[in-house]
Amino acid sequence: MKNSQRNVSSRPKASGSDFEAEKENTQELGREVPVGSADYLAPETLNKALEYRSRYGYKAVVIAGGTDVMVDYFEGLTEVSSWLDLTKIAALKEMKFGPEEIRLGSMVTHLKLATDPRVGENLPLLAEAASEMGSWQIQSRGTLGGNIVTSSPAGDTLAPLLAYQARFVLGSVSGQREVAAEDFFTGPKENVMNQDELLLEVMIPVSRERTLSRWKKVGKRKAVIISSLTMALLLELDEKDVITGARAAYGAVAPTPLRAEEVENYLAGKSLSEVSAERAGELAAREISPITDIRGTVAYRRQVTRDITVEALLDMQQG
Amino acid sequence: MKITFTINNEERSLEVSSHQRLLDIIRKDLGLTAAKEGCGKGECGACTVLFNGEPVASCLVLAPQADGAEILTVEGLLSREGELHPLQQAFLDAGAVQCGFCIPGSIMTGYRLLQDNPEPEREEVCQALAGNICRCTGYQKIVDAIQLAARRMQAGGDSS
Repeated sequence: MKNSQRNVSSRPKASGSDFEAEKENTQELGREVPVGSADYLAPETLNKALEYRSRYGYKAVVIAGGTDVMVDYFEGLTEVSSWLDLTKIAALKEMKFGPEEIRLGSMVTHLKLATDPRVGENLPLLAEAASEMGSWQIQSRGTLGGNIVTSSPAGDTLAPLLAYQARFVLGSVSGQREVAAEDFFTGPKENVMNQDELLLEVMIPVSRERTLSRWKKVGKRKAVIISSLTMALLLELDEKDVITGARAAYGAVAPTPLRAEEVENYLAGKSLSEVSAERAGELAAREISPITDIRGTVAYRRQVTRDITVEALLDMQQG
Repeated sequence: MKITFTINNEERSLEVSSHQRLLDIIRKDLGLTAAKEGCGKGECGACTVLFNGEPVASCLVLAPQADGAEILTVEGLLSREGELHPLQQAFLDAGAVQCGFCIPGSIMTGYRLLQDNPEPEREEVCQALAGNICRCTGYQKIVDAIQLAARRMQAGGDSS
């Protein structure tokens, strides 16, 4: 294990002429910075945050709940000369439950997702994933947007977001754009965001159909564990129990969270009772592309992906 | 930069740097040494404090993020007369303290749990304590202590 660098005074200090120049620029702004100085920006409005983002780009590390970035920072994996703290922006903490779509602010915490009954009722996959993430201490600080932007293949909210066909609203000073969750992630800890953008909101369409869903997190312990794999399986059913839509999303089994299209195609159009859970499980195991790492081997991940898919479908069939 | 926050019901203003953590200012600047640094990455819970009413790992909170916050540490649980909180007394009576390093964090999580759930089941206590690692006790007596405190606080009507 890497030695943590804990002595605060030994942290790498900001250096380099670029940074010094930036610092002077910001000091000219003076009172516009609510707390602090060029090395800590804590805007209270979204417009101000986007302005800083446009001016500083990657030079200011965005911090939300801090549960990922602070670990990297204090292990010396991330060098930070300047922080852009989003925690004072109230607009990013809102949740709106409309008839057509649900909008979740990027700064909504996992604790909120886990405990707000509206989330539990409308987005059970997300509520369950949030409730199993980290610990109470992590859930109360960590945010939905942070989990998305960190873009770890093992991020626990990501498979649920894929299953719900979420769209991410990215903002910059020049406007907004929407990106579908499945187009957002491009590799381990990589995504399509530009350096002047912030994730503002997550939009989830409200399904008109009756839905069944199952969430599963597998890890080496029951709690406070980075997932070895995750699954979010969602079926839309008509009144005759025919599957009209199927979304099978998996995390930690490929460079990005992914949807298993072969599984979905196999399930769609069949009545729930005639589906072969075994067949779906085999398709899932084939479609993922896992690696061997400290959280599990390739063989383990394929086997368990198959098993939890089978188990979820059998459970759904038994009502 | 200067930040202002409330800790243990007392308003404080401090000069902090953007490279400090909440844990550092609590322990070093304010001298409140109950919260401990265990892992330094949010896994062990030894640095747990209540931050705006919820448990957080204070090693993962950037010091300036505490501006405007309300913070509670074990030191803030003592009565004005310096008497132990029923939860602290229960930890002693149940034999829940061995080396003691994790105890301030476990107590803060337990304190928060009892606010929502004054009579928690064993399983609920275990769930709540998932983020507080103890290497001595095997947890049984910590769970006992929280349930003992719950019973006493219910009986005494003391939920402070």
